[in-house]
Amino acid sequence: MDNVVNNCMNLHLLNRSPFSSRVYEDVLNAMGSEDQLLLIEDGVNGALSSAGHYLAGLEGRLFALREDLESRGLSGRCSESVIVVDVDGFVALTEAADKTISWF
Amino acid sequence: MGIVSPGESLAPGELLVILRHAPHGSSWLREGLEAAMVAAAFGREVGLLFTGEGVLALLEGQQAGALGQKGSDNLLAALEMYDVERCYVDAAALERRGLSENDVSLLPVTVLAHADVVALTQCFSRVLSF
Amino acid sequence: MRYALAVYGGPYSQQASHSALRFAEALLARGHQLTTVFFYHDGVYNAASMMAPPQDEPHLRDRWLGLAAQGETRLQVCVAAALRRGLLDEREATRHGKQSYTLEAPFELTGLGQLVEATLENDHLITFA
Repeated sequence: MDNVVNNCMNLHLLNRSPFSSRVYEDVLNAMGSEDQLLLIEDGVNGALSSAGHYLAGLEGRLFALREDLESRGLSGRCSESVIVVDVDGFVALTEAADKTISWF
Repeated sequence: MGIVSPGESLAPGELLVILRHAPHGSSWLREGLEAAMVAAAFGREVGLLFTGEGVLALLEGQQAGALGQKGSDNLLAALEMYDVERCYVDAAALERRGLSENDVSLLPVTVLAHADVVALTQCFSRVLSF
Repeated sequence: MRYALAVYGGPYSQQASHSALRFAEALLARGHQLTTVFFYHDGVYNAASMMAPPQDEPHLRDRWLGLAAQGETRLQVCVAAALRRGLLDEREATRHGKQSYTLEAPFELTGLGQLVEATLENDHLITFA
């Protein structure tokens, strides 16, 4: 696939929990090998240690929004492989990406 | 319809509209199609990707709801008039629903495997998702 | 960089409006420009003039107004989505024979073409649904 196109990096935004919505499958299917995934809103439920199998294979490219984890009391239950960013970091992720694709 | 031949079908484009909701249950699909049509009417180069429940938009035999609410079939029928010719469907989403490319006959579509779905999201410079 | 936001989530029903406002404030703080917020789907209710939330909750419409007051951001509402949902400015209210209107400046009723423009003419479009 990578010989077809330029080296473009997309940021994907997921706001649905993988425990209740299978939209994460569509996200994974559309993610390139360099693409990043940021979990926001109910999407942060996917950052729980127990959700690791849903979003496997994204080490170093899987992020979760701190304020949405904190408001849900989930900060301490987050998988170590998830990189937690604040809203400033959210903006920084969009800056670095060619484009941002939302999934809901 | 058919399997994509890269380099040709996955040429760069301006705006990819991703549709992943089914007709009737919500307005997402209609609203996404309307955005795509407006973009095409403005002379923009538009592509459509049907994925998730959006693949159900392509089944034949749809009709208005019992109260007369519109589905998406009338909008799909108008796509050609707006020169929206690049229509793609996600093979994995079809397969999960027990459908094959023979079932999605409402529109001429190109069926894309995972690697080509990725390539598609990369070769369009902008994306709107619904 | 130049940003546009698309807001599809209904206020007080989905978190989308809160997320979009937080993101908007953060991107301005990082020195970016926010040219457009486009409201579509149930997001159009963010523009409801008669929004009256309890005092201990954020007033989302006022927060959007505060954003627009900073100068450079246009608050555009899809006219087709708005009319269906009972959000009419004075002109549309008159045209439809309604006694009152439910949407006013700085929110503006515009066509979907503005969403396409905002998507193509800015460096980034971020959708909150």
